[in-house]
Amino acid sequence: METQNFEKKLTEMGKPEIHNLKHEDMLSRSIINAKDKSVVSWWWLSVPVFIILMLLMKSTFMPGTTLISNMHELESKQKFISLVFFLITPLILIIINVLTIRRIHFLSGGPKSFNFLEAVWFNILIIAVSALILIIYSL
Amino acid sequence: MNFPWFKRIGIFFIPAAIAGWIILLAGFAFAIYSFIDIDNRSHSVSDTMMNFVFMCLIIGAVYSLIAYVTSRVPKK
Repeated sequence: METQNFEKKLTEMGKPEIHNLKHEDMLSRSIINAKDKSVVSWWWLSVPVFIILMLLMKSTFMPGTTLISNMHELESKQKFISLVFFLITPLILIIINVLTIRRIHFLSGGPKSFNFLEAVWFNILIIAVSALILIIYSL
Repeated sequence: MNFPWFKRIGIFFIPAAIAGWIILLAGFAFAIYSFIDIDNRSHSVSDTMMNFVFMCLIIGAVYSLIAYVTSRVPKK
């Protein structure tokens, strides 16, 4: 009788299933972390973007000046601010976001799909804007 | 200390603990102080606004960095 019950239990049991995979948990945590990081990056990037927009406005309303000439003027007057916001901040943001994308790419098994781009598009945008700021600063 | 102090909604970090509210209020207090300080030294409304927005962005950047660090749930 007991043996029959045991056999019945065994047939009902089926395969053992793990509903919450650790790897899945790590991936979701790293995506949330990447979104948090990209928000912080965006706040830090907003400062040089604001300065560039102000310099652009200045070059529009002051005849004979360009964005690059205004940038050089700012660089000579405010050496520390321009170094921090136009060189150090974009460089750090590029490194952080590249590492974040690399981590998500690695954890998700190296996909070449649209879903991956959808998860990291904000980080890619931040890298692009940071690169643009570095280019403007280096001109 | 009980973490997290903040939770993220969109591009803003909202306080989730008393320590978070203290940091937010300190940020607001510093923004008001800097507005009064900038207004005393500036020559026009646009001069005040431009410098104040710049200051607000710096306060926001520092606040978001603090919020990011303190909003992470410690690993068990």
